[in-house]
Amino acid sequence: MKRILIIDDVRDRAAWLKASLELAEFDVVGVLSWEQVDERAIQAASADVIIVDANAPGRDTLEQISLMSSTLEKPVVVLGAQTDTRSIQESMRAGVSAYVAHTIQGEDMSGIIHVAAARFAEHKRLRDELKEAKSQLVERKLVDRAKGMLMDDHGYSEAEAYKRMRNMAMAKGKRIAEIAEAIIFAKELSA
Amino acid sequence: MDKSKQEIIIASSHEPEQNSRREFMKQTGAILGAAGIMAMVPMGTRAAAWAAGSDAPELKVVNVGFIPLTDCASVVIASVMKFDEKYGIKINLSKEASWAAVRDKLVNGELHAAHVLYGLIYGVQLGIGGQKKDMSVLMTLSNNGQGITLSNQLKDKGVTTGEALKKLVDSEKRDYTFAQTFPTGTHAMWLYYWLASHGINPLSDVKTITVPPPQMVANMRVGNMDGFCVGEPWNNRAIYDKIGFSAATSQDIWKDHPEKVLGSTAEFTQKYPNTARALMMAVLEASKYIDDMANRRKVAEIIADKSYVNCPVEVIDQRLEGKYEDGLGKKWNDPNYMKFCNDGAVNFPYLSDGMWFLTQHKRWGLLKEDPDYLGVAKKINQIELYKQAASQVKVSIPKDVMRTSKLIDGTVWDGKDPKKYAASFKIKA
Repeated sequence: MKRILIIDDVRDRAAWLKASLELAEFDVVGVLSWEQVDERAIQAASADVIIVDANAPGRDTLEQISLMSSTLEKPVVVLGAQTDTRSIQESMRAGVSAYVAHTIQGEDMSGIIHVAAARFAEHKRLRDELKEAKSQLVERKLVDRAKGMLMDDHGYSEAEAYKRMRNMAMAKGKRIAEIAEAIIFAKELSA
Repeated sequence: MDKSKQEIIIASSHEPEQNSRREFMKQTGAILGAAGIMAMVPMGTRAAAWAAGSDAPELKVVNVGFIPLTDCASVVIASVMKFDEKYGIKINLSKEASWAAVRDKLVNGELHAAHVLYGLIYGVQLGIGGQKKDMSVLMTLSNNGQGITLSNQLKDKGVTTGEALKKLVDSEKRDYTFAQTFPTGTHAMWLYYWLASHGINPLSDVKTITVPPPQMVANMRVGNMDGFCVGEPWNNRAIYDKIGFSAATSQDIWKDHPEKVLGSTAEFTQKYPNTARALMMAVLEASKYIDDMANRRKVAEIIADKSYVNCPVEVIDQRLEGKYEDGLGKKWNDPNYMKFCNDGAVNFPYLSDGMWFLTQHKRWGLLKEDPDYLGVAKKINQIELYKQAASQVKVSIPKDVMRTSKLIDGTVWDGKDPKKYAASFKIKA
């Protein structure tokens, strides 16, 4: 069975990836952060496969370790964060993820790659959703605050206050949250 | 959907920490913007621009990768100052986190070309540490402007020169750690050459590690290393932050040495020769612009931005203008500062320059056998394409494809007998 080492500074992603791979009955021998990566740590893990994010700056450090070490089998590095299956296949064909050990053939890797890639993609999607949800929440709070100010200062009903903000947003080509922010700023200025 | 647009969307899917939808919108916007700008140029001008490039580029958008270093200036300026549009292309810049990522994205086609270490391109051609792929060097981007920084801890031990370092390594036994930026790259070769010229074997007397350029200074600060070799502005940054000093500049090791190149796959140059030429012309024009010393401050201001080098303007500008200090109290105006054009002396892809990296790869055991030095260099360095581009933008072309240089240890490299030269070094792997 292939021994897998995960190197990732995004801790929850690493933990999730580990759990997923183990669920698929792969052997995850360790999880390291990039700060912990040196020749000794890589040797100690004696992994066949190392999974890292394709965009991690530390990849060059790993290059040196796998190239210069005389005792270490060149690890296979699976590049994460590729959401597109075709692009993974193309990368594989181009030899990108293959600092391939002589003993491991490309096809043996496919299961691990699929799990890793799918998890990376899923993680990214959830993060994006969370970010979006957070920003929506912030915007709603702004709009509510501005609405309250208009109601207090001008005696508008809630619906009227909202309609005025919406109309201005449309007229100025801005988002309603931006109008709300402007109202809040103006109020702070005159306070 | 056209091909270039597709490729950009795929590229954006590789950014794990960014909102992909926003990124998509931004990049689509950039493409539409570029198309819009071309549409506004009157037909006559456009035809003239293309005539200057002899043939219309096959691609309108060219994805060009770079690493945050002062010498990324020419590709950045070619885009920011719109030299690209003059030749009918739009450079889509992509900031990369590691040289490994630059290599992978070149190889899989996500990047058409990149600001890249000379030795890396040769390493990929020969399959050092990875898959083999036929590569191209379109032109050299820069000479000089790298350096070797030693830590203040060494200074406290009285080590300010290579000779003193040799004495310390011999007399006080411990692990000495030196960092460079990529196993086959230029900084590894400058560091190894410099250490060896002082009698220190970089592979057996000390430990060498690889650290990404923007992280060098932070790593030295926490005591992870005794010295490093990296491009500017990071040597100057170590002085600015008072954690190290300059023991040597790369121009001390080899005056006017080749450094970064504009690299691509051979597939790209074969499939899109007109695009490659247009890109080279745009970058050559940017190189000329940067070499006018009156423009250097402005260049420093542009590249200091967070999207590019992300470093204070002053730290970049000093050495970019040739104003050096070594952190030991010495200040000087270096005539061999970082050059980008030098009327083409920088940019011509000399075969002897390319072969030199192969001789060093052989010396340090990265290549087990002697390669066909000249054959490999002729295959990689796109001399014909370069000549066409350079003549269009009135940059001088040297007569000889070889040049002669004398390095720090007094050896002369002229490209005539690479096998003998590679075997001539006493200190080696």
